[in-house]
Amino acid sequence: MSITAETAKEHANDPAVLCCRAEAGLTIGAENLEDPAILDDLVDSGLLNLDGCLTIGQVLGAKLTKTCDSLSAITADVVEGAKAPAAAEETPAAPAEEPAAAEPAPAVSAAGTGGVLKIHIGEGKDIDIELPLGIAGGASAAVPAQTAEAAAAAEPAEQEPVVVRELTRKHYQITEVKRGPETKIEGTTLYIREGIEKECVEDQELVTEVKLEIITPENYHTYSETIMDVQPIAAKEGEDEIGSGATRVLDGVVVMVTGTDTNGVQIGEFGSSEGYLDENIMWGRPGCPDKGEIFIKTQVTIKEGTNMERPGPLAAHTATDIITQEIREVMKKLEDDLVVDTETFRQVRRPGKKKVVIVKEIMGQGAMHDNLILPVEPVGILGGKPNVDLGNVPVCVSPLEVLDGCIHALTCIGPASKEMSRHYWREPLVLEALHDEEVDLCGVIFVGSPQINAEKFYVSKRVGMMAEMLDVDGAFVTTEGFGNNHIDFASHHEQIGMRGIPVVGMSFCAVQGALVVGNKYMVSMVDNNKSESGVENEVLACNTLCHEDAIRALAMLKSQMGGEDVKAAEKKWNPNVKSTNVELISNVTGKPVELVDNEQSLPMSDKRKAKYD
Amino acid sequence: MKYGDRIIKMEGVIVEVHDGCVAVDMKGRLGYLKVPMRMIITDYPLKVGQEVAWNMSFVEQLGPEPNEKYISNLDTLKRRQEEKRAQNQNN
Repeated sequence: MSITAETAKEHANDPAVLCCRAEAGLTIGAENLEDPAILDDLVDSGLLNLDGCLTIGQVLGAKLTKTCDSLSAITADVVEGAKAPAAAEETPAAPAEEPAAAEPAPAVSAAGTGGVLKIHIGEGKDIDIELPLGIAGGASAAVPAQTAEAAAAAEPAEQEPVVVRELTRKHYQITEVKRGPETKIEGTTLYIREGIEKECVEDQELVTEVKLEIITPENYHTYSETIMDVQPIAAKEGEDEIGSGATRVLDGVVVMVTGTDTNGVQIGEFGSSEGYLDENIMWGRPGCPDKGEIFIKTQVTIKEGTNMERPGPLAAHTATDIITQEIREVMKKLEDDLVVDTETFRQVRRPGKKKVVIVKEIMGQGAMHDNLILPVEPVGILGGKPNVDLGNVPVCVSPLEVLDGCIHALTCIGPASKEMSRHYWREPLVLEALHDEEVDLCGVIFVGSPQINAEKFYVSKRVGMMAEMLDVDGAFVTTEGFGNNHIDFASHHEQIGMRGIPVVGMSFCAVQGALVVGNKYMVSMVDNNKSESGVENEVLACNTLCHEDAIRALAMLKSQMGGEDVKAAEKKWNPNVKSTNVELISNVTGKPVELVDNEQSLPMSDKRKAKYD
Repeated sequence: MKYGDRIIKMEGVIVEVHDGCVAVDMKGRLGYLKVPMRMIITDYPLKVGQEVAWNMSFVEQLGPEPNEKYISNLDTLKRRQEEKRAQNQNN
């Protein structure tokens, strides 16, 4: 199929291949050329050989000297008048998704010396320089330069950051969890009332049994049902609301929800992380327990057949929350002298800096694919609205609300890519963007992922409108896991991108989660994969968004906002792209990017080891 | 995989619709497939009896040895289901 002049321009450096038979003497135009997007497949299947092929930019306007069949690569011997290769235009850097961080920023020096503005550009392309009128008056020039750093340096007048609100986290250390006659905290020991399970069962019609287990580091090698959620134990102080004021949190202990129905079928069924805890948890991921923490683990049994209906998983979570809520009530009465650490999060707006928004796509297809938004207590149940009931429409929250547990996640498959409630509590992208002084994070938009395509596009258009109204300079779009949520993920990119806003996407893709659809706005993507072979490896939270991914995404968005092009990804998943990018970023920032471990660091049973390694 | 690129089109009929998953009988009694909601792409509300199609290849073994982890998980499931069954009968 032939291409348009516009496409030809975009692909000026891609191979030129004839789309149909062409006679000698023809002057080659865009309409004679094949779409470069399909060439890889043809090369793979052996139908096409691109050796010595000229680029589209070179052959446009050249004359064909020999009659060629369709799908012939245009080489130098069949044309005359081809342009010389555009030398030195492309930096021959390593194949990377984000060359921006590496390519030397063209030297743009703007200096208003004695009314003379000198701009020297050593090397570069597509550089826009805008000068305010009335520059003769000695006003400084604003140069929308190539990198965010350069832009920051050339800001007319440095505007002071504004602290919008603050959130204080008071940490209480827990070193032991015991059962006792009443729920209380004494020093660093947490007691949970004996018999509280009975109340959990009575409260929920669908729940037939609740077992409470306390898992200490010594017995991590215990069988567990599929892990449905990992939650911090936190309570608001006094009348404070989520996202501001003070939050009390217990360190060294987390709540873990697991369960089956009365037939022994896992709740949610598809989240197969059952097995020995120590072999199935990727320790230290934002959503996971850290090594050394004690788990208060509930094993909830719900009525048969309700494991796949919406009320079932919600009942399991609600029953567990009765225990957590009782602990919260105790925490509210704790004395301040037990506080071991105080952390303050400031929501800072940075006027004059590039304004960015984070769009987080959460699941909304039903049952386990649901989330409670903005409960009264951090990661609580009461007051939270299921995003499925909200119609999956975008909901705006502040970054501090995210970090204060405004999402109670009823997460589903697959274990390696699901974002648990604790993930939001320690959301790396929000933290990195909030602390980055080069960008102005204006907020976070949560948008559900409905089941039906028409609804997906409905919510996606609202996201686009929101981005437009916010007047942002850039946006992140993140999603968890893979599946039909990639359809709206792509649509969010389109809706934001078509408004001229640079957008960087983050998702688990690699081999198994390869995107099902794409569009021309999906140019900057960060893959959250950590697994060795790029698949869903059934290890809890292995492939979720980590700090290293957030750093890459930020670098990519800054480059994009600075006007750099991001190189296209390779056709097949190549883990080296990530390592190259990480290297480029640490070269530029001078700070090493620490990479997290993957499943290879977990223990394997001796039997497995003997057989597979 | 040795035959990884031998992709064939399969058709099936939706036989169960739950809030969290959909079950599909493959036409010609070639099997049964139960997938979570997010793994099915839909233009219309899901209903039993709707026809669906997808591409898949044949299922190949990855090796001769069973994985102990999965055996142990299956044993636990079996044991647990027996316990539950006994419990259900007593109730």
